[in-house]
Amino acid sequence: MALNTQAVGNLLRRRPRFARGNIELWANLVILSWAAAFMLWQGVGFAITVSTVFAIWAILAVSLNLVVGYTGLLSVGHVGFFGIGAYAMAILSSDASYEQLRTEAIPTFGWPFFAALPISVVLAGLVAIVVGVAFNRFRDDIYVLVSFGFAVIAFNLFLNWRPLTRGAFGIHEIARPEIGGWTLNGAFEFLVLALVFLAIVVLISWFIVTSSFGRVLTAIREDEQAIEVFGYQTAHYKLAIWVISAMMAGLAGALFGSWTSFIDPNSFVLLESILLVSIVILGGLATIWGSLLGAMAFVMLEEGMRFLPFLPTEYVGQARQVVLGVLLVLLMLFRPQGLVGKFRL
Amino acid sequence: MSLAQLKVAALSSALRIQEHHSRALATTLTTAVVAYVIWKIVQSPEQALQFAFNGLPVGAVYALLALGFTLVYSTVWFFDLYYGAAAALGAYGVFYLRSQDFLGGRYDVNSHFVNIVFAAVVAGVVAWALHENFHSRLRSRFRPKVLLALGALPTGAVGVYMWLVLANPSSLNALLSPVIGVSVAAVAFWALQRAHRRLSFGRGRSAIVALVPAAAALGAYCGFLVAVTPESKLYLGWGVSCLLAGAVSLALYRGLYVYMRLRAKSPLIMLVASLGILLAITAIITIIFRAAPRPLPEAFGSDVWTIAGANIKGFNVFAIGVALAGFAGLLVLLKRTAFGTAVRAIGDDEEVSKVVGINTTVVVAVVFFIGAMFAALAGILSGHDTAIQPRMGLLLLLKGWIASVIGGIGNLHGAIIGGFALGMIEQFGIWDLAGEWKDVISFVVLIVFLSFWPQGLLPRR
Repeated sequence: MALNTQAVGNLLRRRPRFARGNIELWANLVILSWAAAFMLWQGVGFAITVSTVFAIWAILAVSLNLVVGYTGLLSVGHVGFFGIGAYAMAILSSDASYEQLRTEAIPTFGWPFFAALPISVVLAGLVAIVVGVAFNRFRDDIYVLVSFGFAVIAFNLFLNWRPLTRGAFGIHEIARPEIGGWTLNGAFEFLVLALVFLAIVVLISWFIVTSSFGRVLTAIREDEQAIEVFGYQTAHYKLAIWVISAMMAGLAGALFGSWTSFIDPNSFVLLESILLVSIVILGGLATIWGSLLGAMAFVMLEEGMRFLPFLPTEYVGQARQVVLGVLLVLLMLFRPQGLVGKFRL
Repeated sequence: MSLAQLKVAALSSALRIQEHHSRALATTLTTAVVAYVIWKIVQSPEQALQFAFNGLPVGAVYALLALGFTLVYSTVWFFDLYYGAAAALGAYGVFYLRSQDFLGGRYDVNSHFVNIVFAAVVAGVVAWALHENFHSRLRSRFRPKVLLALGALPTGAVGVYMWLVLANPSSLNALLSPVIGVSVAAVAFWALQRAHRRLSFGRGRSAIVALVPAAAALGAYCGFLVAVTPESKLYLGWGVSCLLAGAVSLALYRGLYVYMRLRAKSPLIMLVASLGILLAITAIITIIFRAAPRPLPEAFGSDVWTIAGANIKGFNVFAIGVALAGFAGLLVLLKRTAFGTAVRAIGDDEEVSKVVGINTTVVVAVVFFIGAMFAALAGILSGHDTAIQPRMGLLLLLKGWIASVIGGIGNLHGAIIGGFALGMIEQFGIWDLAGEWKDVISFVVLIVFLSFWPQGLLPRR
């Protein structure tokens, strides 16, 4: 029997799948198995909470990746839309009576969750249209600066526009979702709802990035002038993806508000926005899966650090920030596209 | 027609405002706002003067930030966000060095880890400086091992000395007095010798020998004076913490940014990397000092001066003076010295500067050192004026950034004008509003400027 030596040689020369150089594979394996092992170890209640946090961060990360990864606009102001969604949901659906608390009374409407949700999303989108029209002319590092500005302005509005947001007191008793008289009070029901919304967001994003619209966005990222020469109005495309992304962030905000049932401006500080950007870059630019992976890694990083024996609990958030900062530096040095990314910054 | 095209078509109708119409609108609105403020100033000049006195010291802090920021940005052309961390490091450095004696030692935060890290950074910077200066000259004379020993001795000495200083902040003045004495003596000798050479037209060399004891005596007296005045500890702390922030910046540039800039395709890589550094340093500061705001010890000039019915603290006048002096010093450095010429050449074209023989790595590293010192000084001044908290760095960085945009990015005159202008705009902007809207006003001003006057008040060259 004649042995086909060339085929055997090819087989031997092929790089094994578990080669050390395959960072994508290892990132997936490590993060997913870490998450699975952790959830199994800590039990169901923990898994549900962590997964809900993950779902909210993942919606945010996927939506931001549309802007940062696919369109190439490094926006650090996404938390503003997150906050707008959350505050819209809070004001529309809360029915707390603040007069008893002797603090400023604000208008609350007591709407059900599913009536307030579209309004929150649309409101975030409307704000995004205004902001996007103003921001469209900026690029690269100036874009970063003005998006910082948007985040700071949004935070100050939440903190200081007291007749509407009660400032630092925050808003209580935000409604839980309710489907035909069945209130989703349990944590598990809410998790299912959040995952459904995450799936919707991922589907929409996937639809966008595989369509001709998505290809134009990628072209804008690679060379805006070149695609303009072909007759595309890049300003409109950039505005469109900005608004879509902001609406997704508004959705995440509304979910977040309803989940915690209490919000105050501290959830929407500039730092959260920076953390969000680092999730997107960590996971990988211009991949939806990368954003999901990044969000999972981010959530798991914090939960993992809770169990470090030498780290006091109050420093967990800070320690995570240190690790993320160092990771960002290392990624920029050795792997500018992030763990599983397609686009090098 | 696909869904995407439909969406784009619908949105395109919202964008029909023509460019020149919006610019005219912006000019009109800005003029109206300025006219309204001028009208208010005419209505109540006393209050306006008070606002100006409130705005000037804040503007001085912003001007310092903008100066350093402009210096660094117009040399390397990327936004170094470590700059914000430098401001926080400067302020917290003063707190760190004074925490034993101050507020009854309640917030005493001397930790071995921090001391060793900073001593190592300073030792590294010294090692680098020695290497850059002497290695190529001495390489042919000594064997490598001897050379290594020659370098390691002063490096180790400086590191240990720095560690001693950081570990014993309550005797800062005694520990630092030799350094003060030697540097005063050196500066005095240099100045005397220069004056002598100018007056005697190079004749009379023997007189220079007589200058040595004079300078040494002056240095010894200054060192003694510092050693016996415990009040000097705070101001020595300012100097040490500025130097440390600068040393960290230099180390970051030499140890990290140099390699990163070789690979980086876009300035965003550098920006994201320095964002990571800012995140990490802010978090470390929070871990060491806690998130709560802290006061800095009382500096001089807490007495209030009343000028034409408006009040200003002596310290605030000092802050304005520091900003002006920093501006003058930077101007002299950039326009009158060979170093300044090199810096401007690198800002114009780094590759060509390398070709003509400028050691760009060294020059840029020194620029980073100076820039971070400005940031640290601004952080210290603002910390004495208000309070310090870990996240002050990011906000100060952004304010310095805004000030340099208002003044015109890459222009030193613009930086100082922009800084004071931003301080004034914040003060006069909140005339009819509450004080908490300051940040919103400055960022709205930023967006307006970038949209309609991206060149700033004074365009670059």
